[in-house]
Amino acid sequence: MIQKKWIRFAIAVTMVFIAFGTAAAEAAGVLTIGRREDSSTFDPIATAQNIDFWVFANVYDVLVRVDKTGSKMEPGLAESWDISDDGLVYTFHMRDAKFSDGSTITAADAMFSLTRIRDDAGSLWSESYQVIDKMTAPDTRTLVVTLKEASAPFLSSLAMPGISIISQKGMESMGVEAYAENPVASGAFTVDEWMRGDRVILKKNPNFWEADRVQLDGVEWIAIPDDNTRVLKIQAGELDAAIFVPFSRIEELRNDPNLTVHLDTSTREDHLLINHESGALAKKEVRQALDMAIDKQAIVDAVTFGIGEVAYSFIPKGALYHNYDNLKRPHDPAKAKQMLADAGASDLTLNYLVNAGDEVDEQIAVLLQQQLAEAGITVNLRKMDSSTTWDMLVDGEFDLSVMYWTNDILDPDQKTTFVVGHDANMNYMTRYNNDRVKQLVSDARVEMDTAKREQMYIDIQKTAKEDAHWIDLYYSPYRNVSRNNIEGFYQNPLGRFFLEDTVKN
Amino acid sequence: MNISRSVNARFGWRLKFNSGVVPLIIGISILGGWLLVAIFAPLLAPYDPIFQDAAVRLKPPSMAHPFGTDNFGRDVLSRVIWGARIDLQIATFGVVFAFVIGTTVGSIAGYYGGWVDMVLMRLIDVVLAFPFLVLMLTIIVILGPGLGSFYVAMALVGWVSYARLIRAQFLVLKNSDFAIAAVSLGYSHKRVMFRHLLPNAILGSIVFSMSDAVLVLLNGAAISYLGLGVQPPTAEWGTMIAEGQGFITIGWWITTFPGLAIVLLAMGFSMLADGLGEILGVRQ
Repeated sequence: MIQKKWIRFAIAVTMVFIAFGTAAAEAAGVLTIGRREDSSTFDPIATAQNIDFWVFANVYDVLVRVDKTGSKMEPGLAESWDISDDGLVYTFHMRDAKFSDGSTITAADAMFSLTRIRDDAGSLWSESYQVIDKMTAPDTRTLVVTLKEASAPFLSSLAMPGISIISQKGMESMGVEAYAENPVASGAFTVDEWMRGDRVILKKNPNFWEADRVQLDGVEWIAIPDDNTRVLKIQAGELDAAIFVPFSRIEELRNDPNLTVHLDTSTREDHLLINHESGALAKKEVRQALDMAIDKQAIVDAVTFGIGEVAYSFIPKGALYHNYDNLKRPHDPAKAKQMLADAGASDLTLNYLVNAGDEVDEQIAVLLQQQLAEAGITVNLRKMDSSTTWDMLVDGEFDLSVMYWTNDILDPDQKTTFVVGHDANMNYMTRYNNDRVKQLVSDARVEMDTAKREQMYIDIQKTAKEDAHWIDLYYSPYRNVSRNNIEGFYQNPLGRFFLEDTVKN
Repeated sequence: MNISRSVNARFGWRLKFNSGVVPLIIGISILGGWLLVAIFAPLLAPYDPIFQDAAVRLKPPSMAHPFGTDNFGRDVLSRVIWGARIDLQIATFGVVFAFVIGTTVGSIAGYYGGWVDMVLMRLIDVVLAFPFLVLMLTIIVILGPGLGSFYVAMALVGWVSYARLIRAQFLVLKNSDFAIAAVSLGYSHKRVMFRHLLPNAILGSIVFSMSDAVLVLLNGAAISYLGLGVQPPTAEWGTMIAEGQGFITIGWWITTFPGLAIVLLAMGFSMLADGLGEILGVRQ
């Protein structure tokens, strides 16, 4: 982590020089976007990071897309699809589209991409796609997928950037590593140059099936790790847009006449993980007391400067099947203290893992420490670098820790499975254990009746809240800013940027 | 001839005295001042340094809060005052262990010479082969964050400078008449080393330790800045600067005042080192 910091610093310094040198020479239609980190790969199956996914969305196309509002599916490379009555067989009719190298995107390419994410040893997502039993391509434009069992989230899982359609011929001739550096694109832009650690330079893909829709000549994703530097650069006009704007700067940027601040709805939720296997935290009452001792509004005010919103369910507000009526425990430290005493845990001491260097994480930690002290709980903060904290979470060497999640697919199944589905991730490392919830999660996955399914998710949310499986802290929007001459710079709730609709005037 | 030489010598001595005494006094005053601040922190600080008051978040300096408040509504002045305790402690413990270990090793190497000297010197070379910061950070990461780890790291990495200084002095002193006399009188090695040679060899190290304290202080601040030193919510200057960095455009006072405090304390040590060096006639 440390070395990374120094490298980042060096990068930041070089960036300044490069930016000053090239600012004038930039083509008119090239959109420059400043972000915190650089991409790590262009192999769709080899990453789970937003930083990669958000670029994939404009380099690759998927069979089925999520629309702008982030509420329904729309055709992508598959023009239309049929689902058999038993929900087991999906037939996709591919549209006439081409890769950036001019070759046709065939059903075989789609089959190759799906097989890869399910079977490849390097796939981070193989578990989610095990439901695919077999696939055939009767002709170049038809893909037939047969599932092992009916699956409600299957269609929406095809819109995830990890399952982007890649060129079989391209990957086989170039090799995986070369492809991951400079891929054959199926989306709006191709990778023109990737200066690792610095920037990704994208160029318009003339062979894209929707090429008419794309106004920009190109896009540059520029890594500027320091939040303040990134903001300064957009204020100075050296960037067209910047993402990950710190909460503390929003107000000031709103008052800048040259800039437009975008607070686009996201599915991000920040939550406090509780280790259910650690001492008194195994008791439901103790966890509920923690929930009551925490003043979420104070966190929203101090950390997000009022931009976030108090959270009350792990399925975020605005997402499919979110339960608006979920229990919102009032902030009541006195009662929390009483509950702890009744549960025989009055002098509770907890270890709180903090990601060092994450400003927001550290602020929440300091706030929670004081709030929990009011309920008589002693909290020891342990700052660790993020790779270490993750290992410690996996090993259960923690009592509390703040983490966040943003949905990658429309359907709530993905997050629900990860958070309370009792899969290999130990319910996001909380070791939460409730057999009824476990059963509900797997039942909901195969329930095809929408109304019944919604009821199941509401049950899951209620039960998880009752059990205080973790503590919901706050929902927050994506925080982006663009210059006034940029139009249509927008991110949907799943994080996809619609750069094919963005215009630079 | 004789007269003018003696005048010159006298004048020279006085000049030397003067040039050393001014920084010495300034240095001692600054350090003494900080020491008093640290000792009387509970009396001097107007507020509890870790108490968060949501009503006064990010307020600029005013009569109620002369140094302003941070993003949690904590009083920056109180935090700077309490931070003096931690930072003085860092400067002291960061130096002391390295000083003791380095002096002992250096004495042994310089006194015995031969293969003992060779082995110890190679060990020093090994430590020196690593970049200072990298080695220090590695040790802290292995031991886990916190001041304890920082002191261990400073001791393990910092002793080499003292060892080399002392050894060099010993190599010269052990052939001097008084050393040879002591040996021929049959005194034990331990006695010759620590009673006869060390008092004559140690001045340089003492002066060096003062300027080393500056380095240690800055390293401590850097470590806390990286999140590996003092853990929140404890007030420490380096940590305060790190925490305030995100708010620099809307709250300059959060980082500026602890920054000035570090500069002032470092100046104190550095002046003291200058003054001592001049007066004791030690070249750094």
